Amino acid sequence: MRLFEHEAKTLLARSRINVPEGGLARTPAEARVHAERLGREVVVKAQILRGGRGKAGGIRFAKSPADAEREAASLLGATLLDLPVESVLVEPRLAIAREFYLGVTIDRARYKVVVLASGEGGVEIEEVARATPANIRRLEVSITGDVQPHEGVRLGKEIGVPGKNLRDFGAAVAALHRLFRATDAKLVEVNPFALDEAGRLVAADARMNLDEDAFFRHPELTAMGLDARHEEGDLTEREKTARELGIPYVDLDGDVGMFPGGAGFGIMGNDFIQYFGGRPSNFMDSGGGPTPERLAAMLGLLEENPRVRAIFGARFGGISRCDDFAKGLVLFLKTHGLSKPMALRMTGNMWQEGVAILSEAKSENPALFEKIEFCGIETPIETVCERAVALARGAGSGATAAGKRA
Amino acid sequence: MAILVDETSRVLVQGITGGAGKYHTERMVAYGTKVVAGTSPGKGGERVGSVPVFDTVAEAVAETRADTSVIFLPAPGVLDGALEAIRARMRLVVIVTEHIPIHDMLRIREEAVAHGTTVLGGNTAGILSPGKANLGIMPEIAFTPGRVGTVSRSGSLTYYVADTLTRAGYGQTTSVGLGGDPVLGSTFAEVLAAFESDAATKAVVMVGEIGGVYEELAATGIRAMSKPVVAMIGGVFAPRGKRMGHAGAIVEGEMGTAASKLEALAAGGAHVAKTFREIPEILGRLGV
Repeated sequence: MRLFEHEAKTLLARSRINVPEGGLARTPAEARVHAERLGREVVVKAQILRGGRGKAGGIRFAKSPADAEREAASLLGATLLDLPVESVLVEPRLAIAREFYLGVTIDRARYKVVVLASGEGGVEIEEVARATPANIRRLEVSITGDVQPHEGVRLGKEIGVPGKNLRDFGAAVAALHRLFRATDAKLVEVNPFALDEAGRLVAADARMNLDEDAFFRHPELTAMGLDARHEEGDLTEREKTARELGIPYVDLDGDVGMFPGGAGFGIMGNDFIQYFGGRPSNFMDSGGGPTPERLAAMLGLLEENPRVRAIFGARFGGISRCDDFAKGLVLFLKTHGLSKPMALRMTGNMWQEGVAILSEAKSENPALFEKIEFCGIETPIETVCERAVALARGAGSGATAAGKRA
Repeated sequence: MAILVDETSRVLVQGITGGAGKYHTERMVAYGTKVVAGTSPGKGGERVGSVPVFDTVAEAVAETRADTSVIFLPAPGVLDGALEAIRARMRLVVIVTEHIPIHDMLRIREEAVAHGTTVLGGNTAGILSPGKANLGIMPEIAFTPGRVGTVSRSGSLTYYVADTLTRAGYGQTTSVGLGGDPVLGSTFAEVLAAFESDAATKAVVMVGEIGGVYEELAATGIRAMSKPVVAMIGGVFAPRGKRMGHAGAIVEGEMGTAASKLEALAAGGAHVAKTFREIPEILGRLGV
């Protein structure tokens, strides 16, 4: 979960790291009020959850409050890097003498927290890593360990922080690490950590990524409205619906509807469809232990999508059991009906119960199952994938290449 | 033979009185797994089926000599539960729960290493040694005793690979689920090393997916192994996912894409399969 710059700076300020005195504006008039209050040349920064906004024109300078209002008016409501700009941050324009980089993140390979510092701030840190990796200094810490200011002072000396700023830099390193731990962060980054004309260190830009899985113990973060945020840009209507239903779902441009079950096979099943010459219409994952209602809702997303010409269904019951899967399928067939051909394989935990549920529903009303080619563990999953691709190409749905055993 | 669990493993289920804990305990017992105890604070003295329930792991260990734990606790309780099991000197802790905070997993890994405990998960389907023990949520229909070890981050992919090996007559020595969370208790490299030491395992199938670093880190050790490794990576055509961010990318370099993982694994000496049905074809060519 990535935070907006202004949110990250609010948290930095609470940790007593020096940030510019600024104000958030959602209207041009508010931007003007902030510029008047600051009483000097300002910078107007579009608040979007993506890097590279400077190059894309999302950072504007304004000499007067009227200029600030004008710049805000051209940014607010516009689209930048495919994202809508809903607010701007108005800050005094800094005269920057030098730029440093300071970040705290997780090294998953070594199972450690790492503090990273560089004398080359203001540019993408990956660029520094590629071009001059020796210019990045790192301090590795156990998850239960702490970072003292003197360790930050040492890092600061190594990257060329001037002597009179070392004390502040060391304190900032310790504070940033504390903030990282206190917020269950995946990344806290100050870039650039700028030396201004008055010789003070200022967090000119900031970035934070938090761990959604830890929000349960951070009411102070959920109070910021973070739990309702999506960071991947505009969602399609179908993706919004899926999100409301709690289903991980991404629209793609093919015609094979994917109803795969399990995140791992959800990803690999899409590869298989392409290996076999088809194009998936979506990525979808049911999550662990979905209810019959959620499974029915997942099928609904495919049924109402005009792009979908055939459906590939697979369930290898583990934590998600076949009886629940069968109930969800029957619920969907009875309430909505399936108009598209589906190649389906079901096996795993409780498969006998699942088959019994489907057989009973089918004996009550065979017409409901007209479009479904059903098979169990005796048919390799690749065969079912290939059948779904063939169905999407218009192969007769009466064919029994994948069997019909329900 | 098998790795990590076999018919002598004495299994404790943490969170045994919850819905998933109860259901999967019954399945594990039905499979023949030696489930000797469960824990649920406040419910000590009760039973789930034939399995006695204790308030604490320490009491369960004292009474039953449990040495292996399976965790079905809600995510907020996993740090506490896993540390309790590790400090009680479990040999293996299997964390089925998903969405565990990353900082908690770092702590669990740190204590596990200090105590010599192996941790699988979070978000693992478990571990299954066919005919010997089934820990977690894996469906036994996919498995049969045999000579190939499997290791994967995903439950569903574990089942499909095992299903394919069973159909082709290879069977499995042990199937290990590492888990789907971003920070895992064990790595591919550690599990490959365990399979290398297991005389009954003649080859290993490892299945990875996009994101993370664990596949690339395992690649360099494959050539030194005496046994062939067949590797698959899911997500070759996946839409670009979320990234940890700039500093995360730097620590991990260019790692994380399916292309980088496949390239690293092939360069390390693994035999790459695109689909499950290619696995027995490759094993056959290698004379396994």
